[in-house]
Amino acid sequence: MKLKHVNFIVLLIILISGIWTFWGAQNDKVMQMYIGVATAIAYVLWGIIYHSLEGDLHPKVVIEYCLVGAIAVVLLLTILWT
Amino acid sequence: MEHFLRHFFVPHHSNNHRAKVLHIDSLLCYVLIFAIFNFGIRIAHRQFPNVLGYATDIRVDQLLKETNAQRQAAGLAPLTYNVTLSQAAAAKAQDMFANKYWAHNSPQGKTPWMFIQAAGYKYTVAGENLAKNFATSQGVIDAWMASPTHKDNIMKPSYRDIGFAIVNGVLAGEETTLVVQMFGAGEAIVEAPPVKTVVPEQAATSVIGVQSEEKPVAVEAPQELVPVAGANPTPIINVITNAFSSVLITPKLNIPTLTRDIAFLFMGLLIGILVIDGIVVSRKKIVRVAGHNLAHILFFTALFIALSIVRRGTLL
Repeated sequence: MKLKHVNFIVLLIILISGIWTFWGAQNDKVMQMYIGVATAIAYVLWGIIYHSLEGDLHPKVVIEYCLVGAIAVVLLLTILWT
Repeated sequence: MEHFLRHFFVPHHSNNHRAKVLHIDSLLCYVLIFAIFNFGIRIAHRQFPNVLGYATDIRVDQLLKETNAQRQAAGLAPLTYNVTLSQAAAAKAQDMFANKYWAHNSPQGKTPWMFIQAAGYKYTVAGENLAKNFATSQGVIDAWMASPTHKDNIMKPSYRDIGFAIVNGVLAGEETTLVVQMFGAGEAIVEAPPVKTVVPEQAATSVIGVQSEEKPVAVEAPQELVPVAGANPTPIINVITNAFSSVLITPKLNIPTLTRDIAFLFMGLLIGILVIDGIVVSRKKIVRVAGHNLAHILFFTALFIALSIVRRGTLL
């Protein structure tokens, strides 16, 4: 199995775990917020590690993953708190 | 027009082979726009609550009818609407707004049982379910039935009476609709001697208490109405005369619907653009410095699924 495939399996595990725990905390919006933020941070870290292993890590890529994570957090805030 | 669309949505030399809407500056714009949108919605809601608000339709008669429908479906006797328990529920809701808390026990140590006793209801067994910020009566009941501890309260065979309060106010700076559901039974129906139980505040999302008194006294509720499943709810409305029997809010624009529509449309568009961008880059074998499109697509899809799970309202 290629390293790339392993990386994407890890990503799927992170995302499925995030959805599963998020679903489990249905009656606790604060906990859902923490789970969402933790999953977004895990995604950013996954992106940095993935590109580092691929050998194409660049500051622009790090910023892109951080902004994608930030978009997820503001969307989460939008849905949970309005 | 074609050039414009290609520049913004398709990888091309004019946009350095990355759809312009996926550039870092564009992503930063989305973060700022949604942050401003969130603040703007709150400010607009405070200024114009009749235009931009939270559509709510929760009524005691519907809650009572649905609660008893759930009990009767499980072969249990329906609960009797009790005005004294409703007064206790109203006092509890008002106390939560006055002392700014959302819990079964108040910061001053007041338990639900204190409100029930203060209202004049002498119980051998009692319970409380709380809900806040739901849109409909059915939504409240569905959420309670989906929560094992709240469902246990609704389905408890030893309860005979039920009271409700639905109150709108401001909690933690936010407009909040609280629903307090209180259950009880007089001492006459309990055969075993009452045992005092201590329910820790954090132990359960719904609580059950048993009153301990040396000389049990059967208590008649001041006003009672036995609901009949499928019957016209009008008589119940006539009995529930207090100010806490319903909250009806019908703004021109419903904030939860508006925000959900915008957020899900945005996520759908972003996933679509990432798919197009990924396909074009893969076909043209373009090498560029950028994040992995498939990873972003999976991430936003996961976010889409997670946010689809979110329902209005919380329980305690």
